Amino acid sequence: MSNRNVKEKTYLGMTYGAAFVSLAVLIMIIGYVFINGYKLLNFDLITHNYTAVTYISDLDEGFVLNNYETQRDFDEDTYYSTKWGLALTDDTDLQGKNVVVVTYVHPDSPLNNLHNKGVGQSIIELKIDYEIIRIAFDGAASALSSRGASLMITTLDNNDDIRELEFATTGGGIRGSIITTLYLIVLTLIFALPIGVGAAIYLNEYAKNNKFNRMLRNFIETLTGVPSIIYGLMGLAIFVPLTIGLTKATTGNIISGAMTLAVILLPVVIRTTEESLKVVPDDYRYASLALGASKTQTVFKVILPNAFSGILTATLLAIGRIIGESAALVFAIGTSIKDDVYLTDRSTSLAVHIWSMMTDEPANFELSSTIALIILMIVLVLNISIKLISKRFMRKYGVLT
Amino acid sequence: MQNLANIRKSKNGKQKVIDIVAKNFLFFLAILSSSFIFIVVGVIIVKGITPFISDNNGLGSVNFYKFITGNTWLTGEAFNSNLYSVGFIILSTLFIAFLSLLISFPIGVLTALFIAKIAPKKLAESLRTVTELLASIPSIIYGLFGAGLVLKFVYNLSALIGYQSKGGNSILASVIVLAIMTIPTITSISEVAIRSVDKEIIHGSLALGATPMQTNFKVVLAAAKSGIFTSAILGIGRVLGEATAVSLVAGGRRSGLSFNLLDTTSTLTTTMLEGMKETVGLDYDIRFSVGIILMIVILLTNLILNTIKKKVGHVHVK
Repeated sequence: MSNRNVKEKTYLGMTYGAAFVSLAVLIMIIGYVFINGYKLLNFDLITHNYTAVTYISDLDEGFVLNNYETQRDFDEDTYYSTKWGLALTDDTDLQGKNVVVVTYVHPDSPLNNLHNKGVGQSIIELKIDYEIIRIAFDGAASALSSRGASLMITTLDNNDDIRELEFATTGGGIRGSIITTLYLIVLTLIFALPIGVGAAIYLNEYAKNNKFNRMLRNFIETLTGVPSIIYGLMGLAIFVPLTIGLTKATTGNIISGAMTLAVILLPVVIRTTEESLKVVPDDYRYASLALGASKTQTVFKVILPNAFSGILTATLLAIGRIIGESAALVFAIGTSIKDDVYLTDRSTSLAVHIWSMMTDEPANFELSSTIALIILMIVLVLNISIKLISKRFMRKYGVLT
Repeated sequence: MQNLANIRKSKNGKQKVIDIVAKNFLFFLAILSSSFIFIVVGVIIVKGITPFISDNNGLGSVNFYKFITGNTWLTGEAFNSNLYSVGFIILSTLFIAFLSLLISFPIGVLTALFIAKIAPKKLAESLRTVTELLASIPSIIYGLFGAGLVLKFVYNLSALIGYQSKGGNSILASVIVLAIMTIPTITSISEVAIRSVDKEIIHGSLALGATPMQTNFKVVLAAAKSGIFTSAILGIGRVLGEATAVSLVAGGRRSGLSFNLLDTTSTLTTTMLEGMKETVGLDYDIRFSVGIILMIVILLTNLILNTIKKKVGHVHVK
């Protein structure tokens, strides 16, 4: 008997252990992404460009040097030049090299109005978090970032003019990828929703249960089993040339990516919409038809509004897939991270941004984890919303879940 | 009367035309949706056959027999050769798929059993949510997790036994990442199968004096066999088709079959993802050939597993 008890306990323990593994994996993934990602998570990340741009500039004519007093308190490793109205701090970059970072620029400082010596916009300004690379003077040695902020400030105070100021804007932001992801979501839904909802209406409201329609259904179901990388290849072979032919695009672009995603999402949209159409009671259809409405009016004015939450669920599911999809987009758009996003040009969604950075040498773990954290939060919120919506929908029609 | 008939005729007529147009338009959308599977398969096949039948700009056509049996993958343009072989990649893909299923299948099924039959209601509900969340996490995040944590683990493990692994990039790391990814798929589908096992079978078993655990393991799981098998089929489909996550932990292997768990490896999908810079030439077209092989591998595995399922799963489960 005790032998049997031991056996019983072992089996029970096994199931507990297995269930614990799932939980542990979820906690580990969320924990890992959070611990590595939260450090970089702030508003600047969302608004900043990814690539840092280096400018070589000099002062605009007629600048005034003054006594730019400030009320601000600086840390002891921050150095402030009242003459120029500029505060600098030492920092180290990802490669461990010393860099000098701008921590404060006085609003009236001449450095707010710099003249760009290179290509691009002619008037530029020095902003917080920019890195100073080099300041060159007439008749004095240049101040380099490798020598530290303190020396740079001292040299600045000793001189009355700057011959050349070289600085880099802050990089490492994900503004471009966020915009691309939003573009992709909107475009993909524009492509996928009408086709998917239309097909679902046909299959549920019009199609007779015959061999041909069952075949159509089977073909659509088969699409779910195709790996996304295969869709990527298809996008590369069909949609990329198509968009190159129709628009001014010359490579893979956001439109071709959205088309590829739309094909991936079709089965999901069709199935979810159909399920919600099925739940709408037949009484509604009979009542509408009996009141003299035509079939088209019944479908579009009675049934479709009642299936709205199903379509909403389909949309949210689709958004989740679009945000998370990576393999297909690597082929259908490309992997070059862009700051200026055009519909007809390459760019990366947030997920591909991660992939692109992780396959680079060296891989950028911090930023990848931060993007992953953002994706994770969006996906979790979407998931919870879907659950709430479908619960409400099911309750409305008295269907037990 | 005449007037009324006219009005009805015209109004009905207009509505009828709208009805017909709407129906045909929706029918067209349904046909369009279902035709994509042919477009996908057709394009891949047409593009994928090209390297075998064309001259490839002087490189010569790729030998199909060597392609599926050979042991070396050279990027053609760089090496100026037509020597591409996926034989060893097919085998390592199947090996990785098998191993990861070996880990995820028992864990997934036992978790499903726990959720469906053993856990108290509250705990079951929250574990179901955990499974759903795991299923909704995008694969790139699994890849990141693998590259950050699993690689470190594998690297330290191999250092412990005195083996110098390439930064942890290995078969083992790929297997772990893929196993983690397939657990939720297997759990959720097995759970539905286990929950729909007939109550009478369970009561019968208990009445015959079997303990709850004997019932769960020997009766419930056996009765849900067919559904559990389906979950394995879907799981292996996900393993074979997964691309970005594996590409971050596989390491990329160009030649030589290796079943050493700590050695670098390649799967069909990571081979396709490698060096995405070319847009013309053989290096570009050959990805479609690998795509054909991938589809064939998935199709064959599904067919074989479905045949086995039909043979073993004769207990009817709704």
